[in-house]
Amino acid sequence: MRIYILRRALGIIPTVLMITFVVFVMMRSVPGDPVVSLLGDAYTEEDAQRAREEYGLNKPIVLQYFIWLGKLVRGDWGASILTGRPVLQDVLIRLPVTLELIVLSMGVALVIALPAAIIGALRQNTWADYTATTAAMIGVSIPEFFIGVLLLLLFSIGMGGFLPSSGWVYLPGTCPSMICGAGLWGNAQHVLMPAIALGVGRAAILTRLLRASMLEVIRTEYVTTARAKGLSEGPVVFKHALKNALIPTVTVMGLQIGFLIGGAIVVETLFAMPGLGTFGIDAIIARDYQQVQGFALITALAFVVMNLLVDLTYTFLDPRIRYA
Amino acid sequence: MRPRFRPLGLALLIALAWLVATPPPSDAQTPKRGGTLRVSYGNEIANLDFHTAPGYEMMWVAMNVGCSLTNITPDGKFVGDAAESWTMSPDGLLYTFKLRKNVLFHDGTLVDAAAVKFNIDRMRDPATKSGMRPFYEPVHSVEVLDPQTVQVRLKHPYAFFLHMLSAYRTGLILLSPTSIQKYSEADRKQGKAGSIIGCGPFKYVEWIKGSHLAMERFDKYFEPGLPYLDKVIIRVIKDPVTEMAAFKNGEIDFIASFSPEHVDTIKAQIPKAQILTGKETTPMLVAMKVTVPKDGKPMSPDRAAHPIFGDVRVRKAIGCYGVDRQEIVKIAFKGQATPWVSMGMPGTLDSVNLNHLCPYDQAKAKALLAEAGYGPAKPLTLELMTNTEKSVFNIIATVVKEQMARIGVTANIRLVDKVTWMNTTLGDAPWDMYVEDLLSLLTIDSNGYLSSAYVSTKSSAWSHPRHTDTKVDEYYERYAKELDVKKRQALAKEIQEYMVDKMYWNVVSGSPFYMVAQPWMKGYTYNAEFEVHYHKVWLDK
Repeated sequence: MRIYILRRALGIIPTVLMITFVVFVMMRSVPGDPVVSLLGDAYTEEDAQRAREEYGLNKPIVLQYFIWLGKLVRGDWGASILTGRPVLQDVLIRLPVTLELIVLSMGVALVIALPAAIIGALRQNTWADYTATTAAMIGVSIPEFFIGVLLLLLFSIGMGGFLPSSGWVYLPGTCPSMICGAGLWGNAQHVLMPAIALGVGRAAILTRLLRASMLEVIRTEYVTTARAKGLSEGPVVFKHALKNALIPTVTVMGLQIGFLIGGAIVVETLFAMPGLGTFGIDAIIARDYQQVQGFALITALAFVVMNLLVDLTYTFLDPRIRYA
Repeated sequence: MRPRFRPLGLALLIALAWLVATPPPSDAQTPKRGGTLRVSYGNEIANLDFHTAPGYEMMWVAMNVGCSLTNITPDGKFVGDAAESWTMSPDGLLYTFKLRKNVLFHDGTLVDAAAVKFNIDRMRDPATKSGMRPFYEPVHSVEVLDPQTVQVRLKHPYAFFLHMLSAYRTGLILLSPTSIQKYSEADRKQGKAGSIIGCGPFKYVEWIKGSHLAMERFDKYFEPGLPYLDKVIIRVIKDPVTEMAAFKNGEIDFIASFSPEHVDTIKAQIPKAQILTGKETTPMLVAMKVTVPKDGKPMSPDRAAHPIFGDVRVRKAIGCYGVDRQEIVKIAFKGQATPWVSMGMPGTLDSVNLNHLCPYDQAKAKALLAEAGYGPAKPLTLELMTNTEKSVFNIIATVVKEQMARIGVTANIRLVDKVTWMNTTLGDAPWDMYVEDLLSLLTIDSNGYLSSAYVSTKSSAWSHPRHTDTKVDEYYERYAKELDVKKRQALAKEIQEYMVDKMYWNVVSGSPFYMVAQPWMKGYTYNAEFEVHYHKVWLDK
């Protein structure tokens, strides 16, 4: 097991390097460079040339990449071309916000998907099943921003500001600045709508997937045997059927991390949250190469690490699975 | 026997209680001290190096953290800020500023003549890379006469010197020389604690990009009793729907720049909201490129006529007679803008209404195009670039495309993001036409002088059409140097007529600017994008 984890951990390195290299080349291939945003109204061709030299933007792309990589190995993620702020510092300030959003949205997804899928599978072709599958289809079809706007209209505007429309209140002890609200209730108020907006789509996907797996598993011989042995429905469903049906669902949950980060960009922008999503999109729009690299690096790391954790979860769900 | 309450006595008692409980009406207008003003920006602050950073968002912070020598009121009067008084010599070459004695920087150092000289010299230094540097070109030298008196000597008269010091971009923002010397440009850009020391009503506290910028009251501000607010917190809310929701819920007090397309909605939903606006100062352009590099190298001084718009007949056919400005305003701005032709906007000093020079006339447009060789046998096809910054650009591009079709011209819309648009236009890359609103204009001079937008001889990157007409340069030079107001106004009219005649800068309308304030926000004076000051703002709640 340890060797497996070590091997997978080492495997992360080329994957992350590949992702960061592709992002590096792609960002420099799209029209525009950060110097235009940097100089703004003060733009002159001479100053632009000077700035490009100063930031090494006139060097060959591959060389620029290795310079960035060399600094990264030393723990230096670079500094924003536009603001001069250290990228790692900004990433670490924003990471907890997005992490909380993603974890809670996955929680929202599971809270909806688990009962809906189980009921749908156990009561196949009944009104409960149809309701669950129809709701899932609707959930998959509605984009995050639309759900977000509906939630805003309902809980924020419609209920006289019951839930705040935007901004962020940090969990106690996590406030990264001098002035920011911190409190459990405030945090819950601010994260609820974004988490639901982001989680509903995932819930729909998981519901459909888990229902299909459950339908397959509850017809297997070991489930029939369990019932024949006189086990009550609860242990049969939750201990024997659900645990095995969860394996493909867990795989998809791991893969959903990428979608969640993508969705976080939209949801964080809509709710004006100071997370990694808004950090990434602002960096891309401004062509702030260093920040884009930081964003790509952290999301790539999150994705591969989450998928490693998912693989390890299999051994818990199915003891027959062994890694060597 | 118990005494009986008489109705009259009861009424008097109630009236007395009401009088005690209700403050006199005048009290409602007495500024209250304290509270936090919560401001919303639609765009992120670029960085906090006030002398170099681009963008209005930075400027509106700089004006509150920094102080200036002078400010300008909405009706164009100059008022002293750090300067108590000033004089101009009869020949217009010497400006002498007498400073107030009690103006302090936030680090406790005095705002004296040496500090003013330091700041002006810093703006003039090419190493500073300030966008304001071109405005200081007329400055010959700055002399400290005594700690309270500073004198600026100009190389030639500059009629707009005080306008420039007050409100071209940030105006002259005075920063503490001590902090400038102690901290690096990188420190200031990222807003490192201690690196941004101004002399304005608010001290900079912190900037967490993506979250907020905080300022707090400077207790030793030179105007007694000001500012009223304890704090100002600026947040960035990019989505207008969310911004409106936050405003409606009372989560924010002030929207510093509000999308014109949502004004009707906010008026309907929040009738008590204060909608602040004025005459337009920013032009909406459908610009046309006049020249291209002959040798194919961007920014080359060797120019050739643009294959389409190098011909003034085509420029006039399309930009002057072929564009229905009324229709653009009706569709894109729901009628809430001014159709306009002249480069000086209705809210700009010395502007002239020249709409009569370009009436919408399809027949005339077609005739001019035919004269230039275009027609059914040789149809004209061009590219119309627009960008994603504001949805109104795309609406205008669509309307213009339709209007072009009416005169037999095919306009293919190219939608790009803002940075690509800037690269294309600033970098002299190929383009035919674009839609964009550019440069809020206090004076006509601020347009021509801002990075030499029209001055062909300086090959400014901001001279997007890149005409090579030196007559424009001469006009600007004469205009900026003319101290006689009447003569200057006559010159302004001439310049504007010339620009329309040559179609170097094709304005189609004004681009309205809106701010929205909660009913409890008091004391704010609207002065477009030029002056955004919170020192007299107070919260009536």
